[in-house]
Amino acid sequence: MNRRTFLRAAAALPAVAAASQVTGLALPARAQQKEFTPRPGAWRTFEITTRVEVLEPTGVIRAWLPVPSVKSDYQKPLDDQWSGNAKVMKTATDGPYGAGMLYAEFASGESAPVVELTSRFQTLDRALDWSKKVAAPEDPETLKLWTKPTDLMPTDGIVHETALEVTKGSATDVEKVRAVYDWILANTYRDPKVRGCGVGDIKAMLETRNFGGKCGDINALFVGLVRSVGVPARDIYGIRLAPSAFGYKALGAGSANISKAQHCRAEVFLKDYGWAAMDPADVTKVAREETSEWLKVEHPLVEAVRPKLFGGWEGNWVAFNTAHDVALPNATQGGKLGFFMYPQSETATGRRDSLDPDTFKYTITTREIKV
Amino acid sequence: MTRVPPPAEPRHSRTAPPARFAVTMLGGVVCAASLLMGEGWAEPSRFLPWKDPAAPHLALDDLGGRAHTLADYRGSVVLLNFWATWCEPCRAEMVSMRALQQRLAGRPFVILLVNYGEARTRVSEFAKRESLELPILLDPNQDAPRAWRVRVLPSSFLLGPDGHVRYGVIGEIDWVSAEAVRIVQELLR
Repeated sequence: MNRRTFLRAAAALPAVAAASQVTGLALPARAQQKEFTPRPGAWRTFEITTRVEVLEPTGVIRAWLPVPSVKSDYQKPLDDQWSGNAKVMKTATDGPYGAGMLYAEFASGESAPVVELTSRFQTLDRALDWSKKVAAPEDPETLKLWTKPTDLMPTDGIVHETALEVTKGSATDVEKVRAVYDWILANTYRDPKVRGCGVGDIKAMLETRNFGGKCGDINALFVGLVRSVGVPARDIYGIRLAPSAFGYKALGAGSANISKAQHCRAEVFLKDYGWAAMDPADVTKVAREETSEWLKVEHPLVEAVRPKLFGGWEGNWVAFNTAHDVALPNATQGGKLGFFMYPQSETATGRRDSLDPDTFKYTITTREIKV
Repeated sequence: MTRVPPPAEPRHSRTAPPARFAVTMLGGVVCAASLLMGEGWAEPSRFLPWKDPAAPHLALDDLGGRAHTLADYRGSVVLLNFWATWCEPCRAEMVSMRALQQRLAGRPFVILLVNYGEARTRVSEFAKRESLELPILLDPNQDAPRAWRVRVLPSSFLLGPDGHVRYGVIGEIDWVSAEAVRIVQELLR
């Protein structure tokens, strides 16, 4: 046995162990029979409050808080209110993508910098009616933006080569997107140990063939592959707000504290349908986390969501923005962000770890406003 | 070597799976992967001879607030390791790093651990819990991995006494393996 054979054998061992846990046969019948049927109906109104208290402040403190800034047929921002002891508190946007944020700047010497942002908005389920083709006008310049590469999402080289192989034989944009969606579900998997939502370095994913990740990786790979064959696509960075109305614990927020409930989704632009909702990462999440067992994609619990998340999603989530390569306005520390989904701050000693709310520190809470 | 299960189900991959070793993607993907091993290799070295010997910039403070640059270590062989507390392969690798340092005690050999963007308190707690005495450099702005083009954790570099980068290592390795010890000792000559 040479080293390569040995390594393959070693890697296969846990696969055997894991495979014995993926049947789901022991699950009660009721748990295997969930419906997942999001459809546009009544608007739901939510409020989220982001409270930032920068610990161990030194020098001038700056903070950037994401604001739900996507206006669409599935989301209506209502208002944003803020308070705190910063000397500057104002809304700002990143240049190319228009990601909205609250910018706060505290005077040097402020010993307990605090800023709190409350945003209200409405959300709607999405479900594309594939039987109805619609005229879907969109500014060609806008569409061009959504086929461009980003720092972490190149559209050439191994990304393009992979996409060409995956979409071989696909003629229409729908067929191409379907091929990529299926390939993503056949090749990637949810890795609960990934920090935050992942980074989304899709070239590294393809080069290493390391296809474990979370939404920031899996949906980014989906978007990058789709873009590289000329179909406009975008990641949408946001946060979960409420439990799933369909009983899927993996597809909703488990409590009112949503400090770690960030989730990104995707959209593709289809000539006959317009912008279509997509979320292959959530299919992999159901497979990996809906039960204590790792479910096959053919399992009824996964099968119920797989087709629905191709063209739809549930409105228990809010979109912050669709931005990549974000240069935080007035930042003096650190480089561009791959995406802007978490509160950010900097002190004289550097940028804070935005994936560690407890040392940062920040909390995000939510409530639904019933009229 | 730390491993986690690959996809539970055969993933219908259109190409054969590559050989694997433990790495962590910078976002935290703990998995096994092959970056540079092509089909048909038998006993590949994990030490990649570095083409551009000029070391990228590195100027960071340690946990105690002391500033470090690579110029401080001219004349020593430096093992520069990029890691994070949440990276399982990184933690596993530290055992053999410490063993290597003990083996080379008294020689001009230094290990510098560059943390990937975590808070001082988080890293301090880890160092205390693990009784980690190797120099830990904090990099809250994640400037160093950008400059060194690090894309997975752990990643390591071996620098010669002249400050030039001699080797890169991607993923977790056994630093007291015969090959690792031989390479470091060659650099020490």
